[in-house]
Amino acid sequence: MKHWKLWSFISIGLLIVACSKDNGNENLPPANNNFDRGAMLLNWADNIIVPAYTSFKTEAENLNNAATVYSNEPTEASLQSLRASWTAAYISFQKVSMFEIGKAEELRYRNRLNIYPSNTQKIEDFVATGSYDLALPSTMDVQGFPAIDYLINGLGATDTEIVSFYTTNGNALGYKNYLGTLTETILQLTTTVLDDWNANFRDVFVANTSSSATGSVDKLTNDYIFYFEKSLRAGKVGIPAGVFSQQPLPENVEARYKKDFSKQLMLTAVKASQDFFNGKYFNNNTTGESFKTYLDFLNSIKNGEDLGGLINAQFNAAETQANELNNNFALQIETDNTKMLSTYDELQRNVILLKVDMLQALSINVDYVDADGD
Amino acid sequence: MMKKMFFTAIIGSLIFASCSSDDEPITETSNIEVPSNYTFERDGQSTVDFSGQTTRILMAEEILNSFTDFENTTVISLQAMYAHQEGDLDFSDAALNASDKNVRSKTAASQDYFSANTTEAAAIRNLFDSYISGQVNEVFPNKDVLAVAGSAGQLADGTKTRYVNAKGLVYNQMFAKSLIGALMADQMLNNYLSIAVLDADNKVADNDNGITEDGETFTTMEHNWDEAYGYLYGTSVDAANPNVTIGGDDSFLNDYLGTVNADPDFSTIAADIFDAFKLGRAAIVAKDYTVRDTQAAIIRQKISEVIAIRAVYYLQQGKNLLANGDFGAAFQNLSEGYGFVFSLRFTRNQSTDTSFFSTSEVDGFTSALLADGLNGFWDLEPSTLDSITEAIAAKFDFTVEQAASAN
Repeated sequence: MKHWKLWSFISIGLLIVACSKDNGNENLPPANNNFDRGAMLLNWADNIIVPAYTSFKTEAENLNNAATVYSNEPTEASLQSLRASWTAAYISFQKVSMFEIGKAEELRYRNRLNIYPSNTQKIEDFVATGSYDLALPSTMDVQGFPAIDYLINGLGATDTEIVSFYTTNGNALGYKNYLGTLTETILQLTTTVLDDWNANFRDVFVANTSSSATGSVDKLTNDYIFYFEKSLRAGKVGIPAGVFSQQPLPENVEARYKKDFSKQLMLTAVKASQDFFNGKYFNNNTTGESFKTYLDFLNSIKNGEDLGGLINAQFNAAETQANELNNNFALQIETDNTKMLSTYDELQRNVILLKVDMLQALSINVDYVDADGD
Repeated sequence: MMKKMFFTAIIGSLIFASCSSDDEPITETSNIEVPSNYTFERDGQSTVDFSGQTTRILMAEEILNSFTDFENTTVISLQAMYAHQEGDLDFSDAALNASDKNVRSKTAASQDYFSANTTEAAAIRNLFDSYISGQVNEVFPNKDVLAVAGSAGQLADGTKTRYVNAKGLVYNQMFAKSLIGALMADQMLNNYLSIAVLDADNKVADNDNGITEDGETFTTMEHNWDEAYGYLYGTSVDAANPNVTIGGDDSFLNDYLGTVNADPDFSTIAADIFDAFKLGRAAIVAKDYTVRDTQAAIIRQKISEVIAIRAVYYLQQGKNLLANGDFGAAFQNLSEGYGFVFSLRFTRNQSTDTSFFSTSEVDGFTSALLADGLNGFWDLEPSTLDSITEAIAAKFDFTVEQAASAN
């Protein structure tokens, strides 16, 4: 009799285990009730996101001004000055790219500033005809930082040659106009996004503390992980290293025409992602409420260590691995792709920690699916 | 100790009974030699051949690519690819140009469903023709403008650009996903796996006596079975062991069997289908037509499920994306869903010996998808999507929830 009961109980348990569909987080208790989500949202908005956009907007202004100076008087000196502004702005952009929410999401901000590789044939057609609409989805691969990269680094083998496109070329005006449109568009989109944060989105964002799919925490967390998985791990490393194709695609590295810049952009993005994870203020080393403090609060334990510590260790591991790469990822892929793949693997380990373990701990559901590819 | 083992056995059977969706009956296979791969030989030579199916899949791939080749495609060029004539230079692949095969003549062309139903077959082919003309005549002129409700154009879907008609339909997706039913599934389930085809003429006697086709190594019955096989695995990297790359070998049935199989809810479906193909083919070699037909029944059920699961998946994904206002991604998914819903017409229910969904049921679904307002998908209500997906899932052992998520 005793055995009957015991085994019936176990068998029912087994049935449940065997048949239940793993719905992930839905069955977990809402363990997050006591954590001050509002304080975290406030820290994100006021100490990180808005300062990051404000700083980037200054860089975008500098870039636009440098393009104007260059167009007014195209010389090797003004080209180098433009290039320096482009470099500074591109680095600064890495610190806002993960915040694709609100107006940025509506404008497809990241896709308009940093889709690469650029379609250079289409760029040449647009330069030639002077007829284009950069707001169309089909033009996302002819604008933003990668298209400027082509116009200031990729038109010729030497600076003299590049400058000639803006001086002696039969359509020098077309090149100048297109370059100017690109830098203006970056500035205009950035101004729109920042203005919206400052006007009212900041308040809406901070007030929406709901722990549902439409709450600010759930949404930005998904945006952050989507960015880390798709733009950072896949875009900057995995795709050019050939993880998703038959062969490596070195021509698909970020800033392919600048050549020695892809590593710096990637490391900046990793650092910005880690800083956001830790709630570090944009302008100094103070930290506030963050994923890290949220996880600490929940005392999430994995493998006997705290999850926040594991994630930070994995960020560090990815950075350490990436530091071994050549400044020029295309060169790295062509000479020793193994190191690129190792870097990808370290990033992928953090995707799992963030997307599976952290989301489970925070009771947040993933709101995006992997695209079909068709 | 005895008690423990006894109860363990009960537990085991309980689990098996409650969880198994594997309705493969126990079959006497002692006389049937089942190889580990889909490899069959006669006198040391392979008897497996499905080159005609490979050709049609490759043609369909080129047709699909041409739908968005704005520079080169015309109604005439796309229609010529679809209804290719031997020797015409319709494709980039010379082998396809030289072929006497085409896709259109095998669209809605199965023995069981269409040999005495040429009216419907003609209507279905005309529908595919209309997707071609719609793409070129409605979408191409608006390729450089943003789509809005009631007007064709382009929409962003993440890093991709989608091109839709005035109602939000993506013609190339409708064409491709409809073809999965009308070509691949229909030819497989309702033609080559059909007793009316496998046992026609002298095929049983020839197979019993090992009489091969003129100049070939296979009997006609063997070849017919392989032709069914080819519509799923015809472009596999290793067609003898195709599940290694399942999902990556075409944009049609192979693709979506792989996708469904990657969902933990359906993780044995690719193995089940391959095993049924292999055992059925081995049964033909062993002249055991009962086992052959049992395997055909398994394939019919499971390929039908693949189509139904993907129909539910895309419509539910479309519903979620619509709720987020992500029209580009939503319309892409809904167009794929529309195509899979249309493909339900070509499924095969073993117990009724006809489709799981009648023509009028399928027409009801596809009409409803566009009937919530004047502008089709732009006006589509979540309740419409829920009622259609519930109606689809009701005919199978899976739930809407299981099909709607990829995990």
